[in-house]
Amino acid sequence: MMDFRAGVLGIAAVMALALAAPPSRAAEPAPGVADAEVKLPAAPTAWYAAKPVGAAVGPVTAAQLAKGADKTHWLTYGGDYRNFRHSPVAGLTPASVRRLHVAWSAPTGTTGQFEGSPVVYGGVMYVTTSYNRLLALDARTGEILWRYDVKLPDDLRLCCGPANRGVAIGGDRVVMATLDARLMAFDRKTGKLAWNVALADYKEGYSGTAAPLIVGKLVYTGIAGGEFGALGFIDAYDLDTGKRVWRQKTVPGAGEPGVETWAGESWKSGGSPTWTTGAYDRETNTLFWTVGNPSPDWNGDKRAGDNLYSDSVLALDPLTGKLKWHFQFTPHDVWDYDGNTQLFLVDTVLDGKPAKVIAQPNRNGYFYLLDRVTGRFLRASQYVEQLTWAKGIDAKGRPIVDPAAMPQDNPSARVCPSNLGGMNGSWTGAYDPATGLVYAPSIEACQQYAKGIAVYVKGIPFMGGAPNTVDANAGKAYGLVSAIDVKTGKVKWRYRDPRPMMAGVVSTAGGVLFTSNQEGQALALDQATGKRLWSFRMGGGGRGQPIVYELDGKPYVAIPSGGWAGLDSFAGAASNLPEGGQLFVFSLD
Amino acid sequence: MRKTLGLLGVAGLIAASTAVAMSRAEPPAAPTAAPPAASPPGSAESGDPVPRLLQSPDDVARGKALFTGTCAAYCHRPSQPEPAGAAADAPFLFGCNWRLGGSNEQLFRTISHGVPGTRMVPFGGAIPDDDIWRIVAYLKAATQCKPQSSAGKVAALPARG
Repeated sequence: MMDFRAGVLGIAAVMALALAAPPSRAAEPAPGVADAEVKLPAAPTAWYAAKPVGAAVGPVTAAQLAKGADKTHWLTYGGDYRNFRHSPVAGLTPASVRRLHVAWSAPTGTTGQFEGSPVVYGGVMYVTTSYNRLLALDARTGEILWRYDVKLPDDLRLCCGPANRGVAIGGDRVVMATLDARLMAFDRKTGKLAWNVALADYKEGYSGTAAPLIVGKLVYTGIAGGEFGALGFIDAYDLDTGKRVWRQKTVPGAGEPGVETWAGESWKSGGSPTWTTGAYDRETNTLFWTVGNPSPDWNGDKRAGDNLYSDSVLALDPLTGKLKWHFQFTPHDVWDYDGNTQLFLVDTVLDGKPAKVIAQPNRNGYFYLLDRVTGRFLRASQYVEQLTWAKGIDAKGRPIVDPAAMPQDNPSARVCPSNLGGMNGSWTGAYDPATGLVYAPSIEACQQYAKGIAVYVKGIPFMGGAPNTVDANAGKAYGLVSAIDVKTGKVKWRYRDPRPMMAGVVSTAGGVLFTSNQEGQALALDQATGKRLWSFRMGGGGRGQPIVYELDGKPYVAIPSGGWAGLDSFAGAASNLPEGGQLFVFSLD
Repeated sequence: MRKTLGLLGVAGLIAASTAVAMSRAEPPAAPTAAPPAASPPGSAESGDPVPRLLQSPDDVARGKALFTGTCAAYCHRPSQPEPAGAAADAPFLFGCNWRLGGSNEQLFRTISHGVPGTRMVPFGGAIPDDDIWRIVAYLKAATQCKPQSSAGKVAALPARG
C-alpha cells in the first residue's frame, strides 16, 4: 500500500468542476454543500505485493508464449498465438463436470460488463475488470496479492461500456490497455508500474479495451474509437521501455494506396478501429490484426467506395508493421459489421490437401476461410440462422448485398444479423484440434437500420444512424453456440439459449466446453453434441472470457460474471440482472 | 467507485444548474455553448426558439435525423417503442422523464454541457446551437407523455447514474 490517490480526490474534483458554474447561473446556495475547498484524505489506487509473488517461476519466455496454454498456465487472451482458446486439461469430462463446485470467488467492485480473460502464470491469476482494475490473485485460493486501480478521467469517450478484456504477459511484465487510451506495464511480481504511455488522445474518441499481445520483445495493441470517427491503428511497443517501435494505420492518408476507396476526404474521419486482439503465425512470422467498422457506422453516403481497411484482416510484418496483404470481409459497411471477431489459425485438410487457413466467424454472419499465407479467399458459409443483408458471397469473397438491407430514413425491412452480430469481437470462440470444430457463441436477432445525419467533430459520437432493435424489444432475440466444422463450413450442432449468447468460451481436452449466459449461469456443454451438462447460477450476465487451468493436479475453471445494461438491453439480453462484476472459479474435489 | 463518481457528478451538475457557484471564479473547463437565452438561433427573437421550430416540419425532421445519427445508436433508444427491461445508462428520452430537467432550456443545457462521469459528452461547440435546439424540438415533438406524467417536471434523481 504505497500509492495513495484518486477515488475521493476524483470525486472532489468532479464536484468542484460541477460547482464552478459561472456566477450568472447562481441563484441560491445548494443545501448541504460547504463553500470551502474540501480536502479529504486521498484514497489508495494501488496495493503492491508485500513480497514478490509468483517468484517460484522465472520470467515468461518466448518459448512459453509460443507454446501457449499448457495445463498449468493460461498466458494469452486467445490461449495461444493461434487463438484456439483450448486447454489441454483433461480432467473435466462429461462425467466429472457434475461435481464442479465453487472453489473461490472474487468481486471486482465495479459495474459495467466484466469481459476480462484471466491470465494464469506461476500460480498467480491476473485479471482485469471494467474501469481498469488489475488484480493479481492466488490462482488456488483467490487471495488478493496485489491490485492496481487506474485513475481514469470522468469524460471518457466510450461507445459501448467500460470494458477491459485482459492483460498480456511476457518476461516479468503484465501489460494492460486503458479506457483513456494508454498502455500500462506492471511488474508481475509486485504490481509496481513499469511504464505508462499514451496511445492516443482519448478526448478525440479513443479508448483501449482489448488485451494486448506480446511476441518476443514487442507488445502489440489496437485501439477503439469507431463510433467517434477516430482513425484506427495497430501499434508495437518495446516491452522493456514502452517506446513505440512502429504504427500501422488502418485508414490510408492522402496519396497513399487505398485512399481512393474513400470518397472525397471521408478518410479523415473513417474510423476503422482495432479493438480486439490479433493472432501470430510463427511459421510465416506474420502478425494478423483485424479492423472494425468504417465511420460513420450507418450512413455511407459521404464515404462512397470500399473504405479500406475497415472490416478487414491485415497480415503484417511483426518487426516493422509493414502490410503483407489484406482481405476485406464487408466492403463499404453500413451495418456496423466490424470485421474483428476472433481469428483461428488452423492447419487443416481441404479437398484432400493440407491447408494453412484463417477461420473466422464474422460479425456479418458468415464463417470465412482464407489462405493465411497468401490471403486468398477460400470459402464462406452462413453460421447464423438468420442472415438477410447479403444474398451470398461471390467467388472472390465479396458479399452480394441486398439493396433492401441498406439503412433508410424510415426503415421497415428486418435485416439480420444485428449490428452486434452474429458473433462479436467482445467475446471469444474456441477451436478444438481434436474435433476440428470452431465453437462460436452468437446473437440471433434482426434489426431495422435507420439512417440519420452524421456530424463529424473530434470526440463526439459519429454514427450516422441507429439500429431499431425490433427483435430485442419484442423479446425475440435469442442465442446460439454453433459448432462449425472447419473442413466443410457446416454447423455440426447448435446449443440454444433463450437470450443472446454474449460471453466467450473455452474448450478442453476432456471434451467439455465452458461459457456463460444471460440468465446469469455458468454453463458446461458437451463438445461433441452441444448438450448442456452442468450449470451454476452466478447471478450476473455472462460477458467474460472463461479459462481453464490445473494446479496440484486439480482442474480449475474461471468464469467472469457481470453484464452492462447499456448494451445487454440493446442486444435483447438480460433485462433485469443487476450489474456488478464477480469472478467465479470452479473446481473438482 | 466510478458509479459513485457518476452519481455525484450528476448531483453536482444539478446543484450547479439550479443553484450556486461559489468557490471558483472561472467558467467550467468544458466550454460549450453560451447560456441558451444568449444565443437565440437563426432569428432575432430572444428566448426559447422551440415553439417556433415545432411549427416547422423541416426543422423537426432535421432534429430527428441529427438525433438518429448522433444520439440514438448505442446510447439513447429511438422514440418507438420504449424499450422493455432495465434502462441503459443513457436514459430513454421520450417518456417525459428527463433526469436533468425537461424544460427546453434545461434540455439544451444538458446536451450542450454533457453530464460529467457519464458517457454524455458536451455537444456544445461541436453541434451548432441551432441544431441542438432542433434536437430539443424533435424530442418534444416525438415525446409521448403518459397521462400520469407531467412534461417538463424535473425527475427525482435516478437510482443509478
